[in-house]
Amino acid sequence: MFTQTWLPRLSFAPVNTAPRGDTLVVVFLRGAADVLNMVVPHGEDAYYQLRPSLGIARPDDSKKKKEERTVDLDGFFGFHPNMSPLLEAWQSEQLAIIHACGAPDESRSHFKAMELMERGVASAINTPASGWIGRHLATLNTGNSSPLRAVGMGTRPQRSLSGSVPVSALRSIADFHLGGDQRILQQMRASLETVYANDALGQETLSIMDTLQKLDVQNYQSPTLAPGASAGVTNYPDSEFGLALKQTAMLIKAEVGLEVSAIDLGGWDTHFAQGSSAGIMPNLMKDLAEGLAAFHADMADHQNQLTTVTMSEFGRRASENGSLGTDHGHGSMMMVLGSNVDGGKVHGQWPGLAEGQLIGPGDLAVTTDYRDVLSEILTRRLNNSATNEIFPDYQPKMPNVVL
Amino acid sequence: MTLSRRDFLKLASLITASAALSSCAPLYRKMTGDLPTVPWTALSASDFLALNRITFGARVEERARFAEIGLQAYIEEQLNYESINDLTCDLQLSTFKTLNMQANELEGISNQLFDGYDREKVPNELRQATLLRQLYSKRQLYEVMVEFWSDHFNIFMDKEKEFFLKTVDDREVIRKHALGNFRDLVWASAHSPAMMIYLDNQANEKSHPNENYARELMELHTLGVDGGYSQKDVMELARCLTGWNVKEHFWLGDFVFKEDLHDTGEKNVLGLSIQPSGIKEAEQVIEMLVKHPSTAKFICTKLARRFIADNPPQALIEKAAQTFLSTNGDIKSVLRVILFEGLNPKGFQKPLGFAEPKYKRPVNFLLSALRMLNVETDGIALHDYLVRMGQLYFNWPTPDGYPDYSEAWQGNLMPRWQFAFALIRNELNDTKHNLQNLLDVSSTGILQDDVDSLTSLLLGNPLERFARNEIIDSVRAAGATEEETRQIIAASIIASPAFQWR
Repeated sequence: MFTQTWLPRLSFAPVNTAPRGDTLVVVFLRGAADVLNMVVPHGEDAYYQLRPSLGIARPDDSKKKKEERTVDLDGFFGFHPNMSPLLEAWQSEQLAIIHACGAPDESRSHFKAMELMERGVASAINTPASGWIGRHLATLNTGNSSPLRAVGMGTRPQRSLSGSVPVSALRSIADFHLGGDQRILQQMRASLETVYANDALGQETLSIMDTLQKLDVQNYQSPTLAPGASAGVTNYPDSEFGLALKQTAMLIKAEVGLEVSAIDLGGWDTHFAQGSSAGIMPNLMKDLAEGLAAFHADMADHQNQLTTVTMSEFGRRASENGSLGTDHGHGSMMMVLGSNVDGGKVHGQWPGLAEGQLIGPGDLAVTTDYRDVLSEILTRRLNNSATNEIFPDYQPKMPNVVL
Repeated sequence: MTLSRRDFLKLASLITASAALSSCAPLYRKMTGDLPTVPWTALSASDFLALNRITFGARVEERARFAEIGLQAYIEEQLNYESINDLTCDLQLSTFKTLNMQANELEGISNQLFDGYDREKVPNELRQATLLRQLYSKRQLYEVMVEFWSDHFNIFMDKEKEFFLKTVDDREVIRKHALGNFRDLVWASAHSPAMMIYLDNQANEKSHPNENYARELMELHTLGVDGGYSQKDVMELARCLTGWNVKEHFWLGDFVFKEDLHDTGEKNVLGLSIQPSGIKEAEQVIEMLVKHPSTAKFICTKLARRFIADNPPQALIEKAAQTFLSTNGDIKSVLRVILFEGLNPKGFQKPLGFAEPKYKRPVNFLLSALRMLNVETDGIALHDYLVRMGQLYFNWPTPDGYPDYSEAWQGNLMPRWQFAFALIRNELNDTKHNLQNLLDVSSTGILQDDVDSLTSLLLGNPLERFARNEIIDSVRAAGATEEETRQIIAASIIASPAFQWR
């Protein structure tokens, strides 16, 4: 009675069994990040013609202050200055960039593009409604029955996580408990056990509550994030994104069985006054880069079993618009972070920004499908070869980004 | 619980508002009387479901009314909302002066250049008012539709001037036309300063257009993403919309068409060639969009998803879409089709009706508990729970609005459990349930009967005896007294899987 019979969750047996591989952290930059101002093609004249106001100056442009110039990566691409907390990972070859990367969808609609990408499909029709991470969890038996096998950081589990394996959202470890004295707690517990006896998600929530009780977020201090640490990164940014990464680090270190953590960073839909070296979008880059750099430093001892990937639903128009912003475009960029990546390198074929090289209304073309990068991570790092189920009707080409 | 500084400031100013509110409580109580407490009527499963789709959770007197007049008459009564006396609710809102202010006055409160500046006053009052209306208004279907359109024409209150302009949009766009005509709704929204700023149309100028609003006007507000427009149409409509703007001097925050920013060239949108005619160009396109069959289908699909099922039946959508087209977007006529055909167990071709269970969104979960238990509250303590559950009012950043399919909201049970126990133990500030009063009129005082009464109130029907005894035994075994058992079980029913669905 308490559990309604209308809770159909697809169930199919995992197609393969393998020991668990890396923990995967998926960072989704929601709103279509303007990647051309994150990893800047400073070797392209066309870039500066298309972005007379928003363009980030060349590394050797002496007319600009040093902190406003691109930080060179390989002679052609460079970081936006606010991405420089990631330089150390780049220099130690633990950060790979795949430029001009994305999905075939050209709707330029955030919502359609995100839905297709999170479902891991090319079309909404006659394709699975579950998410690509959900199907990864469902098709791989790692012998791990932890309720924290996959977690969506925030108040709702991401679409990519949906599927037959129940997944919980986790906004705050510190807040994940019921109030009251020990006696009352026991009574509530007994009652919840009864009403959720046949409900997987409820059982999962109860067991997460037990697990998280043992963690102390307030006093969490990472030894590798001490003041004076090499990268100069001393802590996670004081933001929701910083908290999500910090909680992910805590769960990994506590060995609670975390295999996938999905994290969102929103606010990238910068049609208006996005800012070039300072402003709205540079602040987002700072949050992103400082967060990832802190996480990378914090997880130094676990990097061998950890892969972090960033993605966004599409890129933005190559030319700036009239309101010092950028409209919806096409080609995007992914970053892969970890000690098993072929790092310190911009992967993928660069299609160029000159006339005739741009597509549609003037957008960066896509030369690497995002599913290629994810398929490679799934097969090589997470021991799941069922990519034909995870990305149906798609034959991935391995881009050799991870080893 | 962790609070950011901003959260803290918000809560602090809410508490000030609460002091003002409680001081006037006797007034509305005197004028309207206590909340009714009547024995509740047993309803069939389909009636219970229908009533909980039309309302934010059925109060006991709404159950009685529904049982008395039946589905069709109840829908008519709710559609005819202007004739429902709503004094209790209106009196509760009387302290919120900002609700009726013009943009210019709202700016006066919200601009830090002025004396008496208060960044949080306007958004807090709107959020408070929204909750209290959903809780206390007798015009429930109207409030449900206000919520529906607030999602459809979503505006994120934390972006720029929206934090005070949304109050105008809420009053002049959403509430004004919620049960009116869809064309008027789109028209009003297109002239809404909050919408112009939210989707960057104030930055849409000749020679360098900004596509943001033009795209969402077609993708999210009218045709739908697969409604048959192209990237070229987006760019052409953006050109038509150049100059649709917001006043920055004198009557600050009002809509204005700025001729000098308008692109005067010829345009072509969806095959319609548009001759240079200033503001009339985009108006012409809006008139075309609201009559488009794709729009009818898109809007009816969303309405059917809200009221009937995550994947509503095509036949129902088509019938509603035909009504949409033949009535030129009359919202009441469309709702009549969707509600009566979709919620009526005998209706529309299929004998058992179309409605399928939907997972309650956080607002719906919270409100249904408050309404069914006759909770009296100033609402302030509840916003923090909406934050934790993920549905604070007007806080969805992207223009698609809070998602409306069940799966999007599953997987975040903890704050719902926390709320259930805190509510029943009366631990929420200025929030008190009337469980005992309710039980006094509908039960015998024997624990088993009380539990039956409670489940009938909250879930529609009493539990099977076996399940009822099982839960009583489990709580007793954990050492609870009789009174504790009653409370823990009440909270557990609200926390239970069944109560998460409507």
